[in-house]
Amino acid sequence: MNALANVPVVSNADVAERFAELERQLTVLKSHVDDSKQVDRLSLIVFSGSLDRLIAAFVLATGAASSGMEVNLFFTFWGTAALRRNNVSEKKGFIEKMFGWMLPKGSRKLPLSQMNFGGGGGPIMMRHLMQKKGVASVEEMIALSGELGVKINVCTMSMDLLGFKESEIVDYPGLSYCGVAKFLNDASPGKVTMFL
Amino acid sequence: MISIDARGKACPMPIVLLAKGMRKLASGATLTIQADDRAFPQDIEAWCHKTKNQLVSLADSDGQYAAVIRKA
Repeated sequence: MNALANVPVVSNADVAERFAELERQLTVLKSHVDDSKQVDRLSLIVFSGSLDRLIAAFVLATGAASSGMEVNLFFTFWGTAALRRNNVSEKKGFIEKMFGWMLPKGSRKLPLSQMNFGGGGGPIMMRHLMQKKGVASVEEMIALSGELGVKINVCTMSMDLLGFKESEIVDYPGLSYCGVAKFLNDASPGKVTMFL
Repeated sequence: MISIDARGKACPMPIVLLAKGMRKLASGATLTIQADDRAFPQDIEAWCHKTKNQLVSLADSDGQYAAVIRKA
């Protein structure tokens, strides 16, 4: 009896075809693995334009950056007002002007989300307390964030809606303007994502 | 040897100053940090765990902390 009788005959062309198919499948699998790889990244949506929440955002941001994490801040809606600079005049429509007047011009003008006392005493008392208790100010923490490589992205839709121009936004290293897709793409592989 | 005085500074400043100091340190070298933030003992342990640096010692003298950290 011939022992090789039952072994199927495989041509070189068959082998090449199977090999190509395996290579194709491997490429697809590799891309899935890359997509599901987690990155040590903190992503924060900074929605609120109040001093207390901004403090929380920047304590988290500077703390995470100091712990070796990548940090990605996405400023949207009332949060964008915290990044305005003072004394910039831009041509605007009526409602845009109203927003411009009514919303805080930068981090130094932010109200508190609670115990604001009409903007008179609240924020001033809080800043006084922070200084007394050794808590860094929001402005110090923003500067530190820049040094530590914390990325700031600003939502263009909010800017347009509230009538803020790019010339009204503070100088910050690498600050960029983007939409929701950029945020989602950056946040998706990250380990920690929060909304403030 | 680098020595950091973070006394009188609240969270997150002790670890921010620590991270900055560590950048200047060579691998295997040590750094000392003093702090009186109440969260410091837990934070320094967590920070060392997360950044893979070694907490050589942590002394507590009535809420005045001194930690020695060796860079990985």
